[in-house]
Amino acid sequence: MRRLHRVFDISFDYPCWTLVLAGLLVVYSGSFADEPAKPEESEPEAFRPIGGEFPPLEKAHSYRGELIFVDHANRRGSIRVEGNGKFFRNDPHPFAILPYGIVNYHGAPADLRDVPLGTVMHVHAFLPPDPEISAVPVLPVDNKSKDANHNRGAGIFPAENHVLLLEDEPSHCRRKGLVWRLQEMEIKNNEGMIIAARLPKQGEGGEVEEQELTFDAATRIWRGREFLSIEDLVTEGTWPAEGKKSLEGQPVLLGITWKPTEDGIFTRFHISDIWLDEESLDRAAHNQTETHKAFIRSRWMAAWIDDVEYGKFGRATVTATLFGGMDPSLYADFKKDSSALMNAVENNLKHTHGAYGPAHMASKGKILEVIQTPGEPPLGSSGIQIRFDTDLIIEGIRPPRVVRVRPSDWPKVQVPREEYLRNGGPSVEERFPSPDIFPKY
Amino acid sequence: MALLSSRFDFRIGLLASLSMLAIQLPAIGEESGEEVFRPKPGKFPPLEKAHSYRGELVFVDHATRRGSLRVEGKNAFRRNEPQPFALLPYAIVRYHGAPADLRDIPLGTMLHVRAFLPPDPKISSVPVLPINNKEKKSGYGDPGTAPAENHVLLLEDEMSHCQREGLVWKLKELEIENYQGLIVARREPTEATTAPAQEETFSFDASTRIWRGRERLGISDLVDEGTWPENGKKPLDGQVVQLGITWRPTPGGVFTRFHISDIWLDDTAINRAAQLQAENHKAFIRSRWVPAWIDEVEYGKFGSATVTATLFGGIDDSLYADFTKDAKMLMNPVENTLKHTEGGSAGPTQMSAKGSILEVTKTEEPPLGSSGIQICFATDLITEGIRPPRIVRVRPANWPDVHLPREEYMRDGAASINERFPSPDFFPKY
Repeated sequence: MRRLHRVFDISFDYPCWTLVLAGLLVVYSGSFADEPAKPEESEPEAFRPIGGEFPPLEKAHSYRGELIFVDHANRRGSIRVEGNGKFFRNDPHPFAILPYGIVNYHGAPADLRDVPLGTVMHVHAFLPPDPEISAVPVLPVDNKSKDANHNRGAGIFPAENHVLLLEDEPSHCRRKGLVWRLQEMEIKNNEGMIIAARLPKQGEGGEVEEQELTFDAATRIWRGREFLSIEDLVTEGTWPAEGKKSLEGQPVLLGITWKPTEDGIFTRFHISDIWLDEESLDRAAHNQTETHKAFIRSRWMAAWIDDVEYGKFGRATVTATLFGGMDPSLYADFKKDSSALMNAVENNLKHTHGAYGPAHMASKGKILEVIQTPGEPPLGSSGIQIRFDTDLIIEGIRPPRVVRVRPSDWPKVQVPREEYLRNGGPSVEERFPSPDIFPKY
Repeated sequence: MALLSSRFDFRIGLLASLSMLAIQLPAIGEESGEEVFRPKPGKFPPLEKAHSYRGELVFVDHATRRGSLRVEGKNAFRRNEPQPFALLPYAIVRYHGAPADLRDIPLGTMLHVRAFLPPDPKISSVPVLPINNKEKKSGYGDPGTAPAENHVLLLEDEMSHCQREGLVWKLKELEIENYQGLIVARREPTEATTAPAQEETFSFDASTRIWRGRERLGISDLVDEGTWPENGKKPLDGQVVQLGITWRPTPGGVFTRFHISDIWLDDTAINRAAQLQAENHKAFIRSRWVPAWIDEVEYGKFGSATVTATLFGGIDDSLYADFTKDAKMLMNPVENTLKHTEGGSAGPTQMSAKGSILEVTKTEEPPLGSSGIQICFATDLITEGIRPPRIVRVRPANWPDVHLPREEYMRDGAASINERFPSPDFFPKY
């Protein structure tokens, strides 16, 4: 009876269907490459991610900047992008995380809400896949080469604002096999300057970048399981209380932020954290991993639909690719013959049926097969496909739409109000958040 | 020359007049004859008149000192829509038992709030609600989850709240399996009392941080060393701790159950957390300047003036100590959001009024929001915006001269109305 009620709800809820049809039209018009969006007309070679295909990382535009603003419920925010000019003058630059975008913090998977404001992040991003429904402002495709004037330089407003990979400094270094080698420090009153170079952990070559960074009494030092301050290092004699000291290339990992700088310095970053050894960063990564595991278990694993084979009376076999960047233990919970739930979500990964909890309206069924695709999967993908059989497929589960899935032995919880759409009554703004939220400077 | 361009900028003048008009208009609500309290410019509102509640920090717009909280009620917490709030210019934010800015507090943190109705609804940067809204049911929520008192005087995390009120958490019992479980705890005064203690059940998991002395531990460390069992129940005999509290979706149809993000096991750990946050905030205030409001201006000749201002409270004492008699000082007008209004793109120093501190006066037991410190300051060139009861920021001349990031100042002479008076339309409607 409850299932009949669910079918009835879906079939005859007029406002719900109006929105679904409107959504279909928008998605349809944006999903086909032969209907180019306006900004592309001036530059036909511009690359945009296409629904159902993970874009290659090497085609992404990369930059770094300071996290200024976070709207985690819509997976978007703003970053002050580093250029050649006066960093403080750069307007916060809006970005949106792609549905399969990966966020890493402290060398572990993260959600945008886990990253503190002020953290300097490395970004790999693309042009908006579909400018018509972009949740952030759509800019001219050549914007990254334009000079922003006012001594700000070029590159601070890239049109590539749809993010595939967002990672903090230690995550970036770990992924690329880099460490910071501390050359020299100068200290007075528990604050000062460090000269350091970012170098490959082993061997020669690669990225070499020497920088002058500030630190102060609020800089955190991590050593094994210890949480120290600059004052502790001074007290134990590791660092002098005043003056210069050579640090002889000591390998560390750094957390980097930005603070206003004196003396007309255009751009100089600040050290928020120093991890003195592998153990200390492993512990930070472990803590962040556990945070994210609990998060994904309650919000479900994101995936997209590769294929649907429709059966009779609402039955279907669905093939979906799980998105990447999560802890392997989460993927391991998707097993052949185990039961699972699948719910339609928007591009911001909000559950579309959620007032009674995402489990209420989700398609339920069994995992027929778990397929590990050969080779290294592209960034964004886990390389894991599941084939899932359900006796009642719901609207929204169709290629190349995004869904969330959970093995049924994950906890059955209800998500908070800002993370789901109201059944049958979400506004267009809720489904397709407008870029108007971002201030114009 | 700088003064001329400032004084005769028509747009700024018009905006200033609009703002003055708005301050003097009666606020909605008073007309109905109901007795409502709203803070008034130039007076710190008494804490006892504030409405208090607690909620989860869900959204932050730190540049305009506002955000959203999911306010705790009696029913299903997760259904409560995020409620926008704005910090009063003299609001005090505390995190880990130390002064903080909104940007320092992680999303998800449970915060204790003391708040008032909007002082001036016409220029509120968050939605203005009916004054009796705290008694109304809203949507799926329950009474109290959408209070009209959304202009905050005091915002503090659990540890700060407990320290201010002289409270501790006493752990009664834990139940654990696979590094996660439940803890029953009571929040009690540090001094023995007969008052009934509040007992609460919290969840914890493998991401809960344990702070002991200078160590940061995980639950697995406590299990490995045998302090906590790997499985099952254990009485904790009223162990005294401080807790960091967040919220996570709860299984089992539980309406409201909070989650422990941090446990501080001893005073050393608590003091170290506070010291780090205090240092962070000191560096922040030195670069953004101390907020204050203008009590009085005595105008002299040719632009000179003697200004009396009260420094806002809640900042580390070492910062106030830098305001000394005869020291050089700078003063710059700011908006209610504390954004610098003058000379932002060239740094707040450029257009600020400069001069010397003639006198520093201290009053005992100031109201919350005030430092109790008044400075009397002589300048030979007073700028627009330095007049009662407007807000300014001040810095001793020996603090660093730095430029602020773009979102924290107004563009000279070209700030939009929305930049000066941020619109509440910014917040999503659920």
